[in-house]
Amino acid sequence: MSGFLLRQVKLSQPQLASLLQHQCRAEASTSSSATVVQNNPVVLDNRKPAPQIDADRMRMHPRIGNREIVGYGLKGKPEYFDLVMFPCPSIRWEADSPAIAELRKKEKGDWKQLSTAEKKQLYRSSFRQTFEEFTAPTGIWKWAIGWTLLSIAGATLAYDGWRRICYRFEGPDSMKDAKLKKQLEYHIAARQGPMTGLASKWDYETGTWKK
Amino acid sequence: MALLFRSSLIQSLTKTTRPMWMAMTSTTRRNMSSHNKETDEEFDERWKAYFERPSIDGWDIRQGINHMNRLDLIPEPEIISACLQACRRVNDHSLAVRYLETIRYKSNAISKQVWPWILQEIRPTLDKIGVATPEDLGYDKPELALKSVDDM
Repeated sequence: MSGFLLRQVKLSQPQLASLLQHQCRAEASTSSSATVVQNNPVVLDNRKPAPQIDADRMRMHPRIGNREIVGYGLKGKPEYFDLVMFPCPSIRWEADSPAIAELRKKEKGDWKQLSTAEKKQLYRSSFRQTFEEFTAPTGIWKWAIGWTLLSIAGATLAYDGWRRICYRFEGPDSMKDAKLKKQLEYHIAARQGPMTGLASKWDYETGTWKK
Repeated sequence: MALLFRSSLIQSLTKTTRPMWMAMTSTTRRNMSSHNKETDEEFDERWKAYFERPSIDGWDIRQGINHMNRLDLIPEPEIISACLQACRRVNDHSLAVRYLETIRYKSNAISKQVWPWILQEIRPTLDKIGVATPEDLGYDKPELALKSVDDM
């Protein structure tokens, strides 16, 4: 089935849809496929409406736009992901702009003719982040430890405040004035601190504090 | 078939010398189950044949890369070269760089000595095809600081 015929076919029958799917996968798998998905000489422009294509694209186009489907990916869905376990996503990151289409043509030739900047451009067109970027440390551990300590402090304060408000603890009666006075008299009578302490300040002959 | 039944003498002659830590990494396949009695050479040959198919397309290369990445090993330099040649056949330079990045990431998890060795082993292929290594593109350090998808 030529690419031209595919456009005329209605997608109501499931067998035909799966046939189209298979066809499109076979043809879309080359990196610069120019048949079913991009079947016009003008490169796909994101501003124009998308071409009528197969079941895959019909289903996913609102989510992926005009980006090229290049692989199976994670679960067979045309979605982009940056994962260490699955390095190759199923779609390119960017849709082909005219500039990138030029680079793709150049890519078909000798790769030594590509400059480093062009190679980087091609890479960024196909992928969102490099391995180093999405495996870089995020520093979330600081956030985690900080918030843990803050919440422990907050909980402690809340508990203490609740205890202060909800419970009225009466002090023991030994802290009242009459009892404290009696305790002082007993300390003095027992000569506590005779040299430099309490009893040294009491004048035992007169029965008053020393002047 | 002759490749599978090479004598051990020829095998030891044709194998490139490897530093000692390579024996400690899991480039060899351990037969934990009783039904999988594939030797290392058979494994290598199978994957090399997979990537050396002349009519391979980008879809199958990506399948192969994803599958091999999940296995508990770093591929032999011959397999890496075969995959790079396959990327050359489908004219996808970014895919080759991505593949090298995965090898680099995986090997750095084991030891800092693995990646330079692998580069040294595949240097002829790199020079012949003209693939840029991640270091050439400056991708051994993060370049862009994009928001992680987990934070969106």
